[in-house]
Amino acid sequence: MCSAIVLVLVLAAAPTSSGQAGPLRIAIGRDEGSLNPYTYQTGYPGWNIMTLVYEPLFTPDADNIPRPWLVRRHTVSPDGRTWSLTLRPNLRWHDGRPLTADDVKFTYDYVRRHPHSRWTPQVRSIEGVETSGPTGLTIRLDAAGSGFAAQPLADLPILPRHIWEGVVEPRRFNDVVGSGPYRVAEIREGQFYRLTANETYFAGRPRVREIILPIIRDATVTFTALKAGEIDTTSRPLSPEVVAEFEKAAGVKVVRGAGYASTVLQFNFEHPLLKDVRLRRAIANAINTRLMVRLLLLGFGAPGSPGYIHPDSPFYNPAAAFAPSKTRAVQLLNEAGYVDRNRDGVRDAPDGTPLRFTLLTLAGNPIRIRAADLVRAWLRDLGIDATVVAQEDASIIAQVWPEFDACKGRRFDMAVFGWSAPVMNRTTSLRDLFHSDCRLGTLNIGGYRSAEIDRLGAALTASVKPERQKQILFEMQRVVAAEVPVHVLFYQDGVYAYRSERYDGWVYQKGLGIVNKLSFAGPPKP
Amino acid sequence: MWRFFAAKGAQYLLVILLTVVLNFALPRMMPGSPLLFLAGEEVGFLSPEQRHQLRALHGLDEPQWRQFLAYASNLARGRLGYSFQRGRPISQMIGERLPYTLLLAGTALVLATLLGVILGAAAAWRRGSGLDLGSLGLAMLLESVPSFWLGMILIGVFASGLGWFPIFGAGTPGISPAGWPLIVDRARHLALPLATLTIATTPGVYLIMRYSMLAVLGEQYIATARAKGAPELAVLRRHAVRNALLPVATVFMLNLGFVASGATIVETVFSYPGIGRLLYEAVLSRDYPVIQGTFLMITACVIGANIVSDLLYPLIDPRVREG
Repeated sequence: MCSAIVLVLVLAAAPTSSGQAGPLRIAIGRDEGSLNPYTYQTGYPGWNIMTLVYEPLFTPDADNIPRPWLVRRHTVSPDGRTWSLTLRPNLRWHDGRPLTADDVKFTYDYVRRHPHSRWTPQVRSIEGVETSGPTGLTIRLDAAGSGFAAQPLADLPILPRHIWEGVVEPRRFNDVVGSGPYRVAEIREGQFYRLTANETYFAGRPRVREIILPIIRDATVTFTALKAGEIDTTSRPLSPEVVAEFEKAAGVKVVRGAGYASTVLQFNFEHPLLKDVRLRRAIANAINTRLMVRLLLLGFGAPGSPGYIHPDSPFYNPAAAFAPSKTRAVQLLNEAGYVDRNRDGVRDAPDGTPLRFTLLTLAGNPIRIRAADLVRAWLRDLGIDATVVAQEDASIIAQVWPEFDACKGRRFDMAVFGWSAPVMNRTTSLRDLFHSDCRLGTLNIGGYRSAEIDRLGAALTASVKPERQKQILFEMQRVVAAEVPVHVLFYQDGVYAYRSERYDGWVYQKGLGIVNKLSFAGPPKP
Repeated sequence: MWRFFAAKGAQYLLVILLTVVLNFALPRMMPGSPLLFLAGEEVGFLSPEQRHQLRALHGLDEPQWRQFLAYASNLARGRLGYSFQRGRPISQMIGERLPYTLLLAGTALVLATLLGVILGAAAAWRRGSGLDLGSLGLAMLLESVPSFWLGMILIGVFASGLGWFPIFGAGTPGISPAGWPLIVDRARHLALPLATLTIATTPGVYLIMRYSMLAVLGEQYIATARAKGAPELAVLRRHAVRNALLPVATVFMLNLGFVASGATIVETVFSYPGIGRLLYEAVLSRDYPVIQGTFLMITACVIGANIVSDLLYPLIDPRVREG
């Protein structure tokens, strides 16, 4: 027993092993399966960690622009329908076998046959893939593919054909032989992942020798561990209230950048009252998003843009800016005939229906609950009665977005909801969010209808030139800002802390964070 | 005697059958669908056919009664099935987590029972003393403290503050020690969650022991023992504590069955990979097969503990034998 106590003391005092290139400990919030394309779980950091092992042909750079990675040359035909790619020579899988055009063709076909919510829709437009030799590829699309470089080229990881060929149940297949800068060395479910550098990586030796990813469920415990030096960073953004503390902490650096995840006030367009644009505009005018950012995010965020697109995005239309005004809100309501007819303190519609709504929000997210409560208070000032109802994730989804299928209808009035960062990065995001046809407007959970958006959405899908896309997106933002199908409340900044003495080579990927491939490897020489 | 066992056996069988049905029905009655967790975040982009294909893959497109039959027939062949989310056999997942939970919750139960019995007996023996009032107050206080808060305090003081213990996990990731260093590493990681759980469980045992002891001390046989001139310590140990232990033993056996269900909150706070966290995460992600499998395992353990307790009780309390 005595010796045990001595050992405990010795181990407790022993300094953690240091070295210029790791091992680096990055805490993640949850399990990410076995880290292959069919078992990883989250969009961030899951996809980013998985793509350390399995690589797409392109990779998004720090500004989310797709850059060739496994590809040496690529050309697009003038009509945008034929993409010719040449792979780099001498690409290899972790098991030493060569990675060839054949693997690419196999992968694009495999994800079509084995549905996956992220990969399968990306290859829908592919008409055919032809290979010529081990490195040549020609991909034909059924229409000009505006987002093809982003998805699938810079998103869908290539699978090794020789391993996946016979796999019929990919979700139960836990193999991890990839081609990326890291190999999976160890997985302890519910505990940690250990990745080791692929020393023969084509784009040079990875900059960190070993990456350990402990799973820490609780945010407070994660931050405590970071402060105590038990981890070196975390994929979890700092909560606003702990940022100052980390800025002062010795050996810790804090990086901050735009966050593309949004928090929105979602209206149900099918609600008899909320389909009136004057009411929606009045509600938007009552909400002081700037104050919200100050109160809820302590300034670490940006107030929502009425056109949905984040001000830091290259596609943001500054003309769609908006300044709320309570006076304007009152004026709008009075003009539209929403007045308190029965003197109960709540305004009524011309037909006598009182303006009473429920406001759904996520119980597990304190910031959203407080946002909902602020909205409630501001609407109260205006004579609109909103009751905040907080429920857990699955229950909210069941009402706002039943079975994640916009075609399945909806039963709510208003909801404080949000979209993750990748939604902002999709070229087609505004079409996805607002198109009237629920098969195209897959994220149109409010059931919003607009002929103008539909027309612009079709034009957007058919365009390949970035300038033209930008023009269309500007128009779409103008329409959305005028019609208020959703009211974007804010975008929370990504604020990340890391122990700089352990590693200082982090790259902040706009809208997302620092856990990404660019922080550890490449870019490959052209 | 045989009739007794047959009746008992039938009773337990009924409970197990009922559990199988409830296990199937309850998770499916929760609002929300496992689809998001099957499909990942971009589930909204799937076409209706692909959604259908995905559901079919997991048998979720079948009518409920057929899903139940499939589940029951697999179960009858000893198969718990695969996790929706992880795609791994559930028996394997439970097998990985169970040792951690048994170590944490089992040790905590034993420690809490020992501590509770000793402190409860001592407090009752010296009823009204500073020891009694002080420990009673402390027990009341700890009984009402939420365990996640207690865990956070322990982390703050002993892990991040004094640096004596690690903050999270069940072992240091990335090193593969063996022998003594392995045991030490595991023990250091176990210390704080174990302390939290023990502190949270002890007051319950203490209070039962104290009240039971007070009742026993008022019995005539204690007075008789004293009148016989038995030494105080013998009265305490042989006559009082032994008899006062009965309710504690009952509670212990009840808790023993639940050891396998883990300690969700403590496991979550300390990122300890036990059954409680497995179950909690399965509920959040609507991973029906894992919920079913885990609950079934827990039910089996509770019933097992009940059987053992039924068999042992007559040995502990002779009055039951006569009755």
